Amino acid sequence: MNLSEDQIGALLPAFMHVDHALKISAMGPAIARHLPHVRVGMLCAEAFTIVNFGIAQFFERKTGVEAIRIISLAGNVSLSGAAIFHENGCLLAVRFVLSEETFASGTLDLSDFGHSDPVVLSSMLIALQRAMLEESQATAIELAHERQRSADLLERTSRVAGYMAHDFNNLLSIIQLNTKRLSSRFGHDAKVEKLANIIHETASRGSDVTQSLMTLSQQQIDTLQPISVDDVITDNAAILRSLVGSTISLNINLQAAQRKSIVSYNGLLNGLINLLINAREAMPQGGRIDLSTSVSSGLIPSESGPQIPKPCDYIAIRVADNGHGMSDALLSRAFEPLFSSKPNGTGLGLASVRNFVGEMGGDVWLESATGQGTTVHLRLPVAGSSVAPFTGVVDTMSSTSLDAKGQQRILLVEDEPYALEALFEMLESEGHAVTACKSGEEALIAVGQETYDVLLSDIVMPGQNGTEVARQASAAQPSIKVILMSGYVPDSASLEPGWMFLHKPMDSAELLRVISA
Amino acid sequence: MYGMIHRAMRQMVFEQLGEEAWLALEHRLKIGPTELLTGMVYEDTLTFEIVAEAAARFNLTVDECLFEFGRYWIRYAEQGSLSSIMTFTGQDLASFIANLDRLHLAVGAAMPGTRLPSFTTLERNSGHLVVEYRSDRMGLENFVCGLFHGLMDRFDTHGDVAITSRGEKSVVFEIRYHDGQ
Repeated sequence: MNLSEDQIGALLPAFMHVDHALKISAMGPAIARHLPHVRVGMLCAEAFTIVNFGIAQFFERKTGVEAIRIISLAGNVSLSGAAIFHENGCLLAVRFVLSEETFASGTLDLSDFGHSDPVVLSSMLIALQRAMLEESQATAIELAHERQRSADLLERTSRVAGYMAHDFNNLLSIIQLNTKRLSSRFGHDAKVEKLANIIHETASRGSDVTQSLMTLSQQQIDTLQPISVDDVITDNAAILRSLVGSTISLNINLQAAQRKSIVSYNGLLNGLINLLINAREAMPQGGRIDLSTSVSSGLIPSESGPQIPKPCDYIAIRVADNGHGMSDALLSRAFEPLFSSKPNGTGLGLASVRNFVGEMGGDVWLESATGQGTTVHLRLPVAGSSVAPFTGVVDTMSSTSLDAKGQQRILLVEDEPYALEALFEMLESEGHAVTACKSGEEALIAVGQETYDVLLSDIVMPGQNGTEVARQASAAQPSIKVILMSGYVPDSASLEPGWMFLHKPMDSAELLRVISA
Repeated sequence: MYGMIHRAMRQMVFEQLGEEAWLALEHRLKIGPTELLTGMVYEDTLTFEIVAEAAARFNLTVDECLFEFGRYWIRYAEQGSLSSIMTFTGQDLASFIANLDRLHLAVGAAMPGTRLPSFTTLERNSGHLVVEYRSDRMGLENFVCGLFHGLMDRFDTHGDVAITSRGEKSVVFEIRYHDGQ
């Protein structure tokens, strides 16, 4: 097979041929393009250095193929490939050495390389991958920004929904409270009573709409009011029994019927359900669960912060199973969020129980040993039982506050004038002594001047908000019963254990019940 | 077509009409960042929808928009992450076009699933090229014409591009050009 110089040049654009005197006898187009001073007939040594051969020994090997590296004397061109020795001299089948710098600098281009040169394809692939990586990084940043934008939009929408719910609930609250006033004053007139009922029912339907807004705003604070733990268990006994299944006997022993704790009904029920599910899963072959309540006194360490344990009466809830129990290692991690020893466990059950109990001012702990079952102990403070540590604040009147008829001194704080008026009249008509304030600032002045049994306050108000008023009022008058009310609780308003919370629009009877509880 | 084309179109709309115009286009077509992933191959219909929507916003016909986009694509590629590859492909109009298939060979290896065209230089004289474009996609002649004009801009030359013949899957272009100086 004989190839012409042009054909060799198409395959190897940087080839050269040298004769036995080491003179260049032919060269490819790329040599001519990049090294214009190189001429046919010139000694190779006048233009190049052969890196891996001595010039004098170049033709000592008369035949065969050797790897070869050549650098131009100016040092700007580097070539590598094969030296193919034959009877008329040597074909230097070389190509330009392609580095990242030469690739990007534009000193060489595709025309300087043969069509089937695999190194060129590899180099271009690397460059393309790098380009795609750069573009992918830019895309990843864009996607992250987009996600952030969506999250921000959702948050803004939630916030707007929350404030809309707040305003709408305030209006509904005013309507319902004043409907109640209308009914009590003129209810003897059947026509008026009927109209009042229509207004009341319509306002109640309106609160369903606000419930949708609350869902959109991810508002999850339940009503907090004194609840009998025994009643919650009794009311839901059938559900709890079906939950543990037929192979497990659930023995319920309730001894705390006379006492209440300020908790969320749903939160307590969810907590009990979680504990029973855990107990059930610890006994796949069946067994026994004891669920009991009792009332005791003692110190409850705070779950929510490094506060001094509070002495108080508490409702003790005990859930004991006779399942496989837990090792010490497992026990030490049992409350850890997302930790689970079960293959399909979420690791959220016990963590959420601990979170709930902590928020309610109680505590929870486990007793367990391998093969000996597990007992979960929960303690929830009895409503109003907390014995305040000595703070230096003299509270001389609190012990004589409650008279025989259950009349209370109430500090009422509400920035909506119509709601304030309606609440004031309703509470006064029940015989309570009410001080009405239309702002948090006014309320704090009142706290400094008189002693109160109950603080009944809106949460979202201009200036000093309800939780801040409650915090300062509790510090000044530790025995004060805090009842907060709102149609919306912003994230910034954290409720403290022992405080009661009612969703607006409130039912008047419920409010009166909570005040006298 | 692959997502890099969509990104280039977005950049063109950004530069000439502003970000709001692109966001309106995205909103209209119900697309977002997930339709702009560089190495992802998208249905041609989506690409044509984007071009048609952009054309309406530029107040151009689709063919005119394809031409402008072809011209813009060269600028986008040389200024972005493909800069070094563009430089390596060729340093004058004729050699760049002659090496396009080799460039596309690498692109095809890097982005499997792409349907890349082929360019064959049929005649190459000073200031005169005859190039056959072959593709299984038809209807992109104006884009190709824009690409040739973009390349002339890149190599600081001026000239005209004309279609001299059309086959079932090929179009022959004649390029007459001269140096910009």
